[in-house]
Amino acid sequence: MDDVIQPAPTLAMRLIFEYEGDRVQLVDQMPVDLLITGFDLTRTQRAGYYLDTRDASGQTLARVPARNVFSTSTEVFPEQPGELITRVEVPVPRGAFTVVAPAPSGADSVSLVRVAPGARDATQLAARAAGAAGAALATTEVARFALQISR
Amino acid sequence: MSTADGSVLGNTQIYGGAPRNRAFNVVLLADGFTAAQQNDFNTACASFVTAFIGTPPFDELGPAINIFRVNVTSTDSGADDPVGGGGTGATARTYFDSSFGGNNIRRLLVCNTTTVLQVAAAQVPEFTAALVVVNSTIYGGSGGGVGTYSLASGATEIGIHEMGHTAFGLADEYAYYAGGNEAGHDHHPAGEPSEPNVTINTDRNTLKWRWAVASSTAIPTMSNPACNTVDTRPSPVPAGTVGLFEGAHYYHCGGFRPEYDCKMRALSVPFCRICRQTIWNRIGPLASLQARARTPISVVARYPEHLDVFAVANNGRTMSNWWDVSTGWAGFFHVQGGIASPGGSGSPVTAINRYSGHLDLFTVGTDNRVYSCWWDAGSGWHPWFPIGNLQVRPGSAINVVSRYTDHLDLFTTASDGRVMSTWWHEGAGWANWFQVMGGIAANGATVTAIARYPFHLDVFTIGGDNRVYSCWWDDRSGWQQWFPLPGITCRPNSTVTAVARFPDQIDLFTTASDGRIMSTWWNIRGGWANWFHVSGGVASAGSPVTAIARYSGHLDLFTIGGDNRIYSTWWHEGGNWAGWFNVSGGVGQAGGQVAAISRFADHIDLFTVGADGAVYSTWWDISGGWAGWFALGIT
Repeated sequence: MDDVIQPAPTLAMRLIFEYEGDRVQLVDQMPVDLLITGFDLTRTQRAGYYLDTRDASGQTLARVPARNVFSTSTEVFPEQPGELITRVEVPVPRGAFTVVAPAPSGADSVSLVRVAPGARDATQLAARAAGAAGAALATTEVARFALQISR
Repeated sequence: MSTADGSVLGNTQIYGGAPRNRAFNVVLLADGFTAAQQNDFNTACASFVTAFIGTPPFDELGPAINIFRVNVTSTDSGADDPVGGGGTGATARTYFDSSFGGNNIRRLLVCNTTTVLQVAAAQVPEFTAALVVVNSTIYGGSGGGVGTYSLASGATEIGIHEMGHTAFGLADEYAYYAGGNEAGHDHHPAGEPSEPNVTINTDRNTLKWRWAVASSTAIPTMSNPACNTVDTRPSPVPAGTVGLFEGAHYYHCGGFRPEYDCKMRALSVPFCRICRQTIWNRIGPLASLQARARTPISVVARYPEHLDVFAVANNGRTMSNWWDVSTGWAGFFHVQGGIASPGGSGSPVTAINRYSGHLDLFTVGTDNRVYSCWWDAGSGWHPWFPIGNLQVRPGSAINVVSRYTDHLDLFTTASDGRVMSTWWHEGAGWANWFQVMGGIAANGATVTAIARYPFHLDVFTIGGDNRVYSCWWDDRSGWQQWFPLPGITCRPNSTVTAVARFPDQIDLFTTASDGRIMSTWWNIRGGWANWFHVSGGVASAGSPVTAIARYSGHLDLFTIGGDNRIYSTWWHEGGNWAGWFNVSGGVGQAGGQVAAISRFADHIDLFTVGADGAVYSTWWDISGGWAGWFALGIT
């Protein structure tokens, strides 16, 4: 190609969360030059925790998975090859996790949401993809945080 | 003990050269290393690189992987080792507060994960996974948002296993929770797990990894005869066999894993085929796709703010990328393990959206049978499956028409040139393949079809005498005989492109034997017109002419010219065809194709394989004209 360009990437934000019990707080957020692949840009609904980027009206613009959230157990690894990995309960879920979320034009906040196991596909994103309006939401919002974006 | 007990010295890239913003970036952070012990940390990091990059599939993904070490000093050497966890009672003032004995289990090595994530983000803002290397020869490690491991032999395996969770969303495949004697883990609860490597589904036809299961492999492959305990018998099939092995996801029965063994089940064994594929689809999209040079690209717009693009990699993998106005291009990923036939110019992946939350794909496999798979917004991708037993010409294209939402019609050429069709109807499934009115296509010719009405089909191909032929079907009168559209002789492998600008009009485009780009039209009042040469255009041998109608009085054409440049022309009602022009300096492949789509009337998106084998795109908008070409990957 004689005249190759690259389109401007979508702005992304790295967010660092800390949780204890069922409480979660955003401890850090910063813009990051990082491309988010389709692997993490959720188009279908599956059980788990997700971070939704939302505009000022609450419309979901993008959704990425939030892994290692509210872990109630942890893995214990064997010292010798061939021995078993096991899990142990933790008395109080406590820890931190990070998510890199797209922050397209109009992004105003992020919501940590939980999709219950077995929930039907009913997110705003999926509803939009399906061309359906007003599909019932099976998603629970855990917490919402304002984005501080300087473009 | 806190960040006052040391300092961050800085970071060093120790593996890879990928641009940080499009790479899988692993960060290793030191804890419990004094200033004088930083070389010990550096050595440990080098060992990790060797272990990590030597682990399939990371060994194939090196060009998209970077590894960094973050040197951090601590006041003291080592980590806390509390008596309550069976340790010595030693304490160490370290930057990240690492401690053995989490949950009173000595091997559970924990740290201040918030501080780790903040330091990793400050040092390598683009990091994907963070691992803390703790300066102790006591065996230990843990997972979660941050992985930890010590210098004890084999502990690097903990970091790699934990990345399976944090970066790739893989489930644990072991069949117990606390060693196998625990209560409440005999039977997996109802509800299909969301992770790609565990399931409760025992139906071969709907199993989520059925694309990787050989037809000769029994399903289930191994069942647990005693659900009150873990099945410890050896595998009944050779290592590496993908099937359905009972015992997974912390349950003795009812949960299944893809292979007998996997790194998500036990340390020091390879990742299974399904986990490797998942890792591929996380890291692979970061790299640019090298596509088969002449295999057509397919593109659909399920709604105006979204595109799905399908191409075939130079190794035959069926690949897709998608764009959304909110998030940009997602990067190419391998669709359900598919491999397309390499014959001729290579079988393309043909896509259609019957409705906005659904995609149906078609291709020819390496066994020259027709395969399909589908994606639904509610359930994601479903594996490839064969449509009948028809043997088609190697490299054939499958053309598909959806006359209405619950119906599909397919067209292709059998191995002996017969023009073949089948159809699918909601509730009835796939019909048998049938030959369309005795039609025989020239070697390499495609069969194209359009539906001007929900009850009507028009079909076109190049016959054995290299003339253009057509036939039609109507639900009142059935299939009609083939008839020639005389006046030109075509290349045997020419494609006849058909556009219906409105229901009673067809415009056809193809290439004559000397490469001239020819057109004719049909309308209900005048029948078929004579062929004419479109603005003196000549296509590269084998290149089809792509045509789109942005509205009923307008046509846009695209092709690869004899000089391999990408050309376009247009026609507007009441005027003549414009002269051909080179689109933004674009250069394609000899015999290649230009895919075009109009998401809305004043916009065109183009896709082609460039001279370097990468997939390129550009767009035209009424307000800004043609943009420059860009390599299609991830944005």
